[in-house]
Amino acid sequence: MNPVVTGVGFITPIGNDRASVERNLRDGRHGIEHVEFLGNADLPVKVAGTVKGFQVESPRWRDWAWPAAYEIPKDVLRGLAPHGVYAICAVEQALAHAGLRAADIAEDSSTGLYCASAGSAMLLHHNIAQMRAVRGSRGNPLGVVSSIAGTLNFNLSAHFRITGAVCGFVSACASSSHALGYAIDELRLGRLSRVVVVGAEELNADSLLPFAHMRALSIQPEARLASRPFDVSRDGFVGAGGAVAMILEMPALAAKRRARALAVAMGWGQAADGFRIAASHPEGAGLRLAMERALADARVGPEGIGYVSAHATSTPVGDSAEALAIGQVFTARGLTPRVGATKGLTGHTLSLSGVMQAAFGVLSIEGGFMPGNPHLGVAAPECDGMELPRETVAAAPGRILSNSSGFGGSNVCHVFAAPNGFTG
Amino acid sequence: MPPVPPTVPAAALARFPAEVLEAYQRYRATGDASAVEALVIAAAVDYRPLGSGPVQAVSDSTRLLEDMGYDSVAVAELVFFLEDLFEMTIGNDDIVGVRTIGDLRACVIRKLAGKSGAA
Repeated sequence: MNPVVTGVGFITPIGNDRASVERNLRDGRHGIEHVEFLGNADLPVKVAGTVKGFQVESPRWRDWAWPAAYEIPKDVLRGLAPHGVYAICAVEQALAHAGLRAADIAEDSSTGLYCASAGSAMLLHHNIAQMRAVRGSRGNPLGVVSSIAGTLNFNLSAHFRITGAVCGFVSACASSSHALGYAIDELRLGRLSRVVVVGAEELNADSLLPFAHMRALSIQPEARLASRPFDVSRDGFVGAGGAVAMILEMPALAAKRRARALAVAMGWGQAADGFRIAASHPEGAGLRLAMERALADARVGPEGIGYVSAHATSTPVGDSAEALAIGQVFTARGLTPRVGATKGLTGHTLSLSGVMQAAFGVLSIEGGFMPGNPHLGVAAPECDGMELPRETVAAAPGRILSNSSGFGGSNVCHVFAAPNGFTG
Repeated sequence: MPPVPPTVPAAALARFPAEVLEAYQRYRATGDASAVEALVIAAAVDYRPLGSGPVQAVSDSTRLLEDMGYDSVAVAELVFFLEDLFEMTIGNDDIVGVRTIGDLRACVIRKLAGKSGAA
């Protein structure tokens, strides 16, 4: 039996609620803005996928502000990183969407929490600098739990009083797809009956600029040119922040409490490139195998996929590898599912990107649309034969295959479908 | 105590409760130990964990753990705030005997006196 999705919550560059996100996906409207980091107008990186409505730039939690609809107590804030603020808001939305109150998941040993984030480089740096300034004699007692890579699971498990399994996943840009995958397994094994999956990332100089130094970021000053997955002239990704939460439940639990199933998590697969630290296998070998394993787990052939939500981040190497992998799984078999890369609109949210794409997929299934590639001009030659709509297609996607790839060659893919199993 | 020149920028305390800022400014202007008392009480109320009942009237005899709901990490946070504010280090041996607001106030005043004596 496969778990169902009963709620999703969004704090993203293209909206902080379901309605805004869906509208922007349908209209192909991006959430990328001009940015200047560290007061240095000469930095080559000019744009980012910003989160609106929050002020979390300061390392001091007392300076932070967030939308009034969310209540975050002071003693919770003290242990949080900036992206933890986004995450709490996203979880509250997802719970409300699923018809759950916070009290329903508190101290319920059948509810788990699986998280993904890279931690907070900004707070880590701030706290260590503060400690070093006094030669190690004192430091923020919550410095560790607010900044290291497990910060989301530490804080959210205490805040929401989670007593099932709690875990964090660190596989770079595949992290939240791993969180989702292992949540599905835990549910299928009957160890839990509900899992809250959360991915979150902050966007600031400390989180983003190190990628510029890897030469991974676009230096285009215009959003349309900066984030254009699969375009022949793409030159790197656009960094972004936010948080997305998804509530997965076993169908029996959802039915018992009369919750509406929005989509079914049909299966997932993973495989690694075994190649380079920070570059994909040139033919996308690991991603191809991950897609095939996800399809096998979902018991669906490639002909059963209507829409591929590509990982494509707009980097020259990564998009090429993914296009070739998609080509081998689909095009070589004469299959042409629509392929869309939503990072054109959001920028790349790093470890958040997997669950964000999955949640966009849930909106697509619910709303009967397939996001297009509005920034795509001339498609790269590796995309020959791929169906890459520029505009959103107003039709049900059928089954969705959602791809993720991370540093070290981790590749994770998921298959989602409408609750009746097939709509295409 | 002699007046102490301000070293912590006002911006660092800008979003603290007004009582904390006022008490800190008074201490900096006058070196008055009673201002430290007000500051310690205001900070202790501010750093108190939630979910531990309503705040009672706080006095020297109020106990941090039993009366104010503090746990060991929250005590560490409160102490770090005071350390950072006064640019001093309070060791484990200093706080091991701190049970009440009065103990904490005495500890802070003792450390401040030691600091100005050393200077």
